Amino acid sequence: MFEEPIRRRGLFSLTPLIDVVFQLLIFFMLTTTFMHTQLLTVTTPAASEGGLPQDANVVEIWLMADGSTRVAEKPVTADGLGAAVKAALGGRMDLTVSIFAEKGSRTQAFVAAVEAARLAGVKNVATAKVDKFKP
Amino acid sequence: MIEFDEPRRRPPYETMVPLINVVFLLLIFFLLAGTMEPSEPVKVALPSGQIDDKNSRLPATLYLEKDGFVWLGKNMVPPELSGLMVKGFMKEEGTDRIAIKADQDAPADALLTLMEGLRKAGVKEVTLQTESAR
Repeated sequence: MFEEPIRRRGLFSLTPLIDVVFQLLIFFMLTTTFMHTQLLTVTTPAASEGGLPQDANVVEIWLMADGSTRVAEKPVTADGLGAAVKAALGGRMDLTVSIFAEKGSRTQAFVAAVEAARLAGVKNVATAKVDKFKP
Repeated sequence: MIEFDEPRRRPPYETMVPLINVVFLLLIFFLLAGTMEPSEPVKVALPSGQIDDKNSRLPATLYLEKDGFVWLGKNMVPPELSGLMVKGFMKEEGTDRIAIKADQDAPADALLTLMEGLRKAGVKEVTLQTESAR
């Protein structure tokens, strides 16, 4: 008599779905980054050192070639930088902090100095590069 | 004669279900937890910092390598010349905001030379990218 109708499988094939999901997974695994970056705004310096304020209302941070840092000519440790800047300011936020980077100093030290000045509450942060530390 | 029960046939897709669950979970994790960034011309180790000046305007990003060379897009230039080339680069990128990704071991004088060049090109402020120290 009649042929029995062909029974369809209960589940449709999952293989293409799994293929696509795996592709997506591998794509996101390769392209995503988990590093959280921050932004630090810095005013660009004028071309010459003469452009910096040289009067008494300045706290100077020196970044030395050997990696050390000086605040108002006194050597400070990396951990003590923030406290030293605060002490040198003595609560006067209208002062300018000038950061002088000696030839050979590194970007990490520069960022630390800018942040120390900003965290101390200073609005004016000036920067300049110099060849050699002049006390 | 002893008759054994025939082992029950499992549906063929049943074993795949936990696998699909895990893969979906991983997919959703990477979708939510990660962020996508454009590919970089050079690898730089960012300096660590605490301050985050949030800014929604997209900047054009310059890279400062460990050896002091500056990358504008796909071009590498010494820091002294970067100021001259940055105007064209900013026009190309369609922004007046500049972000610098500087290596933590890059010479600070190269960074300052670059920033002086940017000042000459009319950029008053730049943002340095740092990595969260926390």
